[in-house]
Amino acid sequence: MLLLSGDQEEEKIQIKSIVFPVKYLNISKDLALQQLLVEWDVGKSAHDAKLAMSFEIQVRRIDETTTVWTEFHNVTLDKSGKPLHWIWNSDLPLECMSHLVRIRSKAEASKIWSQWSPWETVLGLDTSNNSRPQIFPNEKIVEEGSDITLCCIGREGQIIKEFFLVPAVHVFNRTNSQVGLLTVKNVAHQGAPHITVYCRESCNEEQCYDHAVFFVGKPPDTPSDFSCQTQDMRIVTCTWSQGGDTYLYGRHSPKYTLSEEFSQKMVPCTVSCSDQCSCSWDIGQQRIYNITVTVENPLGKKTATDVFDVTHRIYPAAPFQLWEESTDTEITLYWKHQNKGIELFCQTEVLQPDGKVELHNCSDTHVRYASMTLGGLQPYTEYTARVHCGAAKHFWRWSEWSEARTIRTKEATPSGKLDIWREITSVLGGRNVTLFWKQTPSFRANGKNISYEVTWEKVEDGSKPESVSFSSVCNSTRISIDNHSYRISIMAKNNVNYSLPSVLIIPRATGARELKEEQVNGTDDGIFISWEPKHIYDNYIIDWCNYPMLQPCDLQWKRFGPNTSSALINSAAFVPGVRYNFHIYGSVANRASLLEKKTGYLRELPPLHDPTVEKVELTFNAVTLSWDSYPTNESQSGFVRGYNVYVSPIQEDCSLKGSKKHVLPDDSVLCKYTIENPEEKRYTVKHLLPNTKYKLVVKAYTGGGETPIVNFIYIDTPFNSNMLYLLVLLVIVPALVAAICRWKMKWLKECCCPVIPSPNKSKVLSFKEYKIGSGKVLKISDCIPDMLAVDNKAEAQKLHPWSQLSSAPTEDKIDGPSSSWIYPNESEERDFTPTPTPQTHIWFENFAYSSHLGVESEPETLEASKPELSVVLYQPHYYFDIFNEDAASTPRETAGRKSSLRYISQTDHKAHSKHRGQTA
Amino acid sequence: MPQRPLPPSSSSPAVTKGLFILWAVPGQGGRPLQPPTLQQIQALVRHMAEDAQELFAFYEEDQRLAINHLCRTNRPPEWLRGPVMGPGGLRGLRGTMARMAQVLQDITRHQRDLNPPGAEILRRLASTHLKVRGLLSNLEGLFPAPSLPPGRWAPPGPTAPTKVFRQKLEGCRILWSYARFMAKLSTQLEARSRREKRRSRRGSRPPARS
Repeated sequence: MLLLSGDQEEEKIQIKSIVFPVKYLNISKDLALQQLLVEWDVGKSAHDAKLAMSFEIQVRRIDETTTVWTEFHNVTLDKSGKPLHWIWNSDLPLECMSHLVRIRSKAEASKIWSQWSPWETVLGLDTSNNSRPQIFPNEKIVEEGSDITLCCIGREGQIIKEFFLVPAVHVFNRTNSQVGLLTVKNVAHQGAPHITVYCRESCNEEQCYDHAVFFVGKPPDTPSDFSCQTQDMRIVTCTWSQGGDTYLYGRHSPKYTLSEEFSQKMVPCTVSCSDQCSCSWDIGQQRIYNITVTVENPLGKKTATDVFDVTHRIYPAAPFQLWEESTDTEITLYWKHQNKGIELFCQTEVLQPDGKVELHNCSDTHVRYASMTLGGLQPYTEYTARVHCGAAKHFWRWSEWSEARTIRTKEATPSGKLDIWREITSVLGGRNVTLFWKQTPSFRANGKNISYEVTWEKVEDGSKPESVSFSSVCNSTRISIDNHSYRISIMAKNNVNYSLPSVLIIPRATGARELKEEQVNGTDDGIFISWEPKHIYDNYIIDWCNYPMLQPCDLQWKRFGPNTSSALINSAAFVPGVRYNFHIYGSVANRASLLEKKTGYLRELPPLHDPTVEKVELTFNAVTLSWDSYPTNESQSGFVRGYNVYVSPIQEDCSLKGSKKHVLPDDSVLCKYTIENPEEKRYTVKHLLPNTKYKLVVKAYTGGGETPIVNFIYIDTPFNSNMLYLLVLLVIVPALVAAICRWKMKWLKECCCPVIPSPNKSKVLSFKEYKIGSGKVLKISDCIPDMLAVDNKAEAQKLHPWSQLSSAPTEDKIDGPSSSWIYPNESEERDFTPTPTPQTHIWFENFAYSSHLGVESEPETLEASKPELSVVLYQPHYYFDIFNEDAASTPRETAGRKSSLRYISQTDHKAHSKHRGQTA
Repeated sequence: MPQRPLPPSSSSPAVTKGLFILWAVPGQGGRPLQPPTLQQIQALVRHMAEDAQELFAFYEEDQRLAINHLCRTNRPPEWLRGPVMGPGGLRGLRGTMARMAQVLQDITRHQRDLNPPGAEILRRLASTHLKVRGLLSNLEGLFPAPSLPPGRWAPPGPTAPTKVFRQKLEGCRILWSYARFMAKLSTQLEARSRREKRRSRRGSRPPARS
């Protein structure tokens, strides 16, 4: 053979060019494991040469053209000449179709592959005798998240028409051939205990169907918290936690087994599982163990191990049969235990009355029983005790607690003192003293039947003391004493003895000293009280009533040390809006003296009621309100700090002088006046408008503010009478004067202007010859004037009587060069529009100017020359009435004569002026 | 075409369930002090017919067997075929109920492999099993003697392991047949009761017990 040649290099070259083809190939199948078992061999020469060889193995399915698997298998041959083996796990059930395998080989040193062996076939299910279609696999258990492929093999000549799962899941399936295929990827549990597979051929008879199921589950979790222990050194119990649901139940559920490594034996115990799993067995003489718990289901197996010495795993039984002995301050507890021969260390848990828990250790164990003494206890107090134990050597864990026992210590003398206080009321011939007592935090009754004994005696003469007993439910009593000084003591008493007395000295009655009450402020935490400390006192007492409006008012008191000068007083009974009165006493040698008085609210609230306005004094521009009966005392829900008066006209917002604006929620504006003195209960709102309707309200305010404005009172201011008086003064009086003047005109004329002759009476001015209309014409020739003058001087105006009455701005004057006159304004002009009424006029005519007269009297001219009008108050149009009646012509007519001639008396210029006015 | 079970005659469930509790439970394995009357048996049967129908419907749905009415066979097992009340009247019912109690136990055992402990199907099977036992107990109270020859109702031994699907299907078919059986029985008892009432109105003496 080539391998035997001496030239190694040459041998290698030759090997590289030689192939060793597969000479034998056999395939079989393991249906249980769904494996293809492949066996093959190459020539003996290859074995003899111990060649390292590579084999390429291909697997194909009969209905598929492509190779489903290719694998290279490397092996070094030996001289035994045994055939080679390879196993392939099929993902498709081998029953479903025939599988074909072929192999080729190559020496590792060679680069040349042999020829492929012929395909060797392993047949699928022989369906010739099938009476119905068949599904593979059936009842397979698959792990959640893995894939599964199923096939349904129809009978010969039949094709698979339906192939599906219930509950329905997404599958890849192939039907319409004799073999139906169905693949599920990443299978999930889906809440169903199993999945049912349905298959049907193209017919409908019963033999055309097949059904199968498969299960989706999980491998078991590793047992957790696995440990073993013993109570009595005879039986060991191992416990562990199960882990999560595997979704496999009944015969597929996880099975637990325990084995022991040293003895190489299965542990003879029965596993029971509920919340935890446990298994117990008799240990015999073995002390050291290496226990393994194995949990297994069809999808996997997990283990947990515990190695231990039994003597180190003692978990004692709970102590039992507890009993006790007790005094007033001690309890001795006794118990029994089952663990004979095992030294135990025990612990007693004592539950105190205040809820605190104390642990007491004990290692003293009697042969028959164990005991522990608990000291420093309170008399007549219930304690609850229980015991647990552990191994004193190699402590493993505490036993379960024993049954708890509640034990009461014995009674003892009351300890501590009572806190006592008094309230003194003077009555005729003496005083009533109400005594109060309460248990201080340090006081302990130390017994079941507590009672109180009150004793009082005169201090001065040492008279026989009086004494009264009260039951435990009493905390006050009232005694009557005279005006002498008294010593009062109160003691608590139980079945054993009396407590130390608490003493109070009531001093001799003297005149009460008036103390000013000071206001204090409340906070969220209470009412803060401070006082001026004095070194002579050994303690201070503050008392107050929890319900000041009730009788009895539930008097409370609190004591403070000598170095205290302030306190925050709080009580569950304190509520906002109630005034509490505090008395601060200093006490020395049990004698208390009132030092200060305080009053305050926990929180001030707005007043409960608004002031009732009792009196309203009203003028045309002011209103005075009073609310004298409004209380500012303790009935109020806060200290009344003052009042706010709100005013507003009904129809509009308010803007009175001297007020502040207050806007209501409806955006209306009120005027606000604030009175900061609570005792000032009267206020005058000024600057009101006459003849106007106003709404008003008076609100009291406290430190808590004031209540919302809801109700108003309404007033109507009267008309301003001063204006009426002024009107009367300016209009009626002059009118009256004018009327009188007219009535007494003749007399006046005669009195005032006696020298002016009447032209009608003049012989000269007989007016017989000439008449124009109704007027008479005086001829020049008939009388010879000694002087003729045109009066256009401004000074003349001053003499006009009406110009003195009219206020300057209301006058409209025509600044003509030839006359001065008063003209009414336009309105008055309307009232006095000239009407053509036949009147008799006396004209003094200069014919030289007569044509001019006619032109000047044209109304248009008058209108053009009319001055601008202005609004004038109190325009005395009455005057024009008078004027009109009195005058022979209207002002317009008069104005038309700006340049007319007037007769001036030859005798008296002054009289001339007056006469001119009258003529006008 | 598969048939639905005959509907049980209408009655107040509260009344019938109350009766069932009255007669089936107090025994707790023992017997009621007084033997039940025929009317009480009739009420119990009526209630059991309703219960059997409900159990079947739930089982069919729960086991995903509603496809193609696989369970609703027209070939019930021999022991659940009619006539329901033979010549012996209700006496013959004892054997059927004993067999049914055993089958329910088998079904329950199969279902334990498929369901977690406490599953609804297990609860319902247990409840129906209790009712069957209750009726059996009442029948024994009604017909105290002669005792049945031993072995006649001896339960069959543990069934050989069969395919899971086949077990499910067989259980389902038995529950279907049982539901039909109880419906028929209830109807027959109602009819018989009506006949006896008519007879009693005509003055004829009613038979004491069947």
